[in-house]
Amino acid sequence: MLTLFKARSVITMNESLPRGSAVLVRDGIILEVGEEANMAPWLRDQDYVIDEQFADKIICPGFIDPHLHPSMAAVLLPMEFITAMRWKLPWGVVEPVTTEAAFDQRMAKLVAEKDPEQPLFIWGYHQLWHGAMSKARIESIAGQRPTVVWHRSFHELYMNSAAMEMVGVVAADIKPGMQIDIEHGHFYEGGLGYAINRLNPWILAPEKYAAGLQRLKQVVHYGGHTTIGDLATGMFNFSAEAEALSQHLEGDSVPFRTRLVAHGTVLTKGGVPPTEGPELAEALLQRNSHRLQFGRHIKLFSDGAFFSQLAQLQEPGYIDGHHGEWLTTPEILEQHIRAYWHAGYQIHVHVTGDLGLQLTLDILQKMQDEKPRFNHGFTFEHFGFSTPEQIRQIKALGAQVSANVYYLHELSDSYSQSGIGYERASQMARLGSCFDAGINTTVHSDFTMAPAEPLNSMWVAVNRVNHDGDVMGATECLTPYQALQAITINAAHVIGMADITGSIRSGKRADFTVLDQDPLTCDPMTLRDIGICATVFEGKVFPLP
Amino acid sequence: MTDQPSIEIPITLIAGYLGAGKTTLINQLLNSEKLPANTAVLVNDFGDINIDEQLIVNVSQADNVIGLANGCVCCSISDDLTAALEQLRASAVERVILECSGVAEPGKARQQCYYPGFYPQACIVLVDAQAHDQRCNDKYVGALARTQVQQADLLVVTKTALNPQFRLAQLQPSIAVEEAGCLDLLLGWRAQGYAPDAPTEETLPHFAAKTLHISETVSSDAVRGYLRELPQSLQRVKGYLQTPEGIVEVQQVGGQVEIHPRPQLTLGSTELGLVFIGYRGEELPQQTPLF
Repeated sequence: MLTLFKARSVITMNESLPRGSAVLVRDGIILEVGEEANMAPWLRDQDYVIDEQFADKIICPGFIDPHLHPSMAAVLLPMEFITAMRWKLPWGVVEPVTTEAAFDQRMAKLVAEKDPEQPLFIWGYHQLWHGAMSKARIESIAGQRPTVVWHRSFHELYMNSAAMEMVGVVAADIKPGMQIDIEHGHFYEGGLGYAINRLNPWILAPEKYAAGLQRLKQVVHYGGHTTIGDLATGMFNFSAEAEALSQHLEGDSVPFRTRLVAHGTVLTKGGVPPTEGPELAEALLQRNSHRLQFGRHIKLFSDGAFFSQLAQLQEPGYIDGHHGEWLTTPEILEQHIRAYWHAGYQIHVHVTGDLGLQLTLDILQKMQDEKPRFNHGFTFEHFGFSTPEQIRQIKALGAQVSANVYYLHELSDSYSQSGIGYERASQMARLGSCFDAGINTTVHSDFTMAPAEPLNSMWVAVNRVNHDGDVMGATECLTPYQALQAITINAAHVIGMADITGSIRSGKRADFTVLDQDPLTCDPMTLRDIGICATVFEGKVFPLP
Repeated sequence: MTDQPSIEIPITLIAGYLGAGKTTLINQLLNSEKLPANTAVLVNDFGDINIDEQLIVNVSQADNVIGLANGCVCCSISDDLTAALEQLRASAVERVILECSGVAEPGKARQQCYYPGFYPQACIVLVDAQAHDQRCNDKYVGALARTQVQQADLLVVTKTALNPQFRLAQLQPSIAVEEAGCLDLLLGWRAQGYAPDAPTEETLPHFAAKTLHISETVSSDAVRGYLRELPQSLQRVKGYLQTPEGIVEVQQVGGQVEIHPRPQLTLGSTELGLVFIGYRGEELPQQTPLF
């Protein structure tokens, strides 16, 4: 059976045939895109249906988020969101809450609406917007119902007495000097581990985790994705994760495929020398199924978390003089990169600051000197701060960029005030320069660091407006076409799937995202509000409400 | 919340950059008779851990704990210190030796050791005599290498044979790993100003240091005379002083006083003075001597 989908316009992202009005599909594969009149030879003596449900819609290649974390998302998604930024989730839009009073109102609403027998987990609190949090403040609203308020950064949380009682916090154990303020129910950094060790039975309960993965499945569909990258498989536990993923993200009801990229240093945990990493990674290919695929890709880490100002910076560093953090000892990072480089792998390195980027560039230069490789796909992940000179190096070394452009929206304002100053803050995610240099460049959410909405990432990349509405680093804005490349074909290249998805052309899988508006001609400020009416995964339609 | 008395377990941190000799030292401790019973040694990875087979009595099912004949355990923390500490809370462990990652900042690592039921006793930082000076100027880890030294309670200099000329200009307690008594010193080391709420049994001699800043110019003879008068129980004294002849390095170990000119050193006033290392706080001089 053949299906001929008709559309107001088909945006192919194949520059040889940029637009069409119909696309013909058989067994999940695109036979031809273009004009219906040209498709007659395929249809002769064949059973076919003409599907006109998208006749007034725009068909785009299925969106791709090349870097998110399903396992982390599964922990977070069962929680209630109260956030300073907008989060569009399948079960409702979380409107921004930017004042202390509004936070308390929302918390009161949750207390009134949610099952009173269950503890309440709230995520998204940030003192910058929501004022000082405390046990007493939670109790003034939630009373003695166990309630946990998690900071947006994940690095701290607050509990009321009932929650502390529930999880078994022992007051006598808490001494001055610990990163726990028992009076305020505040657990941070080291003290957070103490809280999490006690909260685990609630947040990691198998049924909760399973429910979280089901929610993730909804979120990914809702964002319009047909392909995602899990860019650190094994971050908690390899076999448990692999099992849960195959249970929840495989099967006919799942409207997307996942590229699994193993967490390199977890893979060789237990004293395995880095040189044996590629062999262990190779064995993972045995686990592959239709939608869940490891490839010859590996994930490694350079410098610290962007949201915590632990990115490693070149001079002049942070305004307050603090330094970032290395997630991997530089020499050890080099050993891992060398092992995978020589084994022919595509290496993805988490880099956030320009010093972390420079270290990784220097290592890549060494690898090219040791064993020159073309088309190696080495990818800089996150790409918070960079310099124009580094853009040239990235190009010269043949690497790619996968950026969390959302940093610019949420953080450029506060980082220019207290962090790194306006000049560098406004140039976070230097993406226009990457496109100008001809570097294959994509954007990602790192969900749950940013909303898993490719149209939202596109909106930030095109407009570069921060949460306050100011345009930051206007010359780095992408055109709508470049931004659409970023979330489709360029993303497909980064996760090594450009042969099967990322554009609409004869021979590729029939992966589409169907939109109400044309993202290339609409007012760019409306990009993130475009309605997604359905996705098509390998020819099968998955409608969205 | 339940109120119950808690006994706090001291943690000695072993930090220092990659290659400084942390694993060698840990292996030495694990195979040493000096390791007191009921000590837990927490390492990042069992990879390079080398324990004499005769000492191993069991390996736990979870594969992250090795039991030793002397009642001690060696545990791999694999990135989750708090989970490992949580596991130890329920055990008979009386003290912990924690191997930090090569990129850990001692200050932050020390904070982590204020985990309920534990407290940081001291942070020992290993310094590689051969690589340290160059590393301090490294573009990527220079700041980290300097921070590691600044935040140490006790510095242990390693690989001195490869660079006998190596000197740390900082006025901080330090000892070479080859020096006699090094293991006793680091096992019994207590950070300056350290005073836990609930003291545990005193099974080990405790060591501490006192740093006295002396920026005025003093005569070598007066210094020599002063050092000779110090109580014999004092373990050692090291430091740098300004004399009319220039800067001198001063050392007193086991009653032997040595004073060497160090004309090549340029030290600021905060780097001049003496560091005293001794058994108990009260035996350490509390007043700046008048020469």
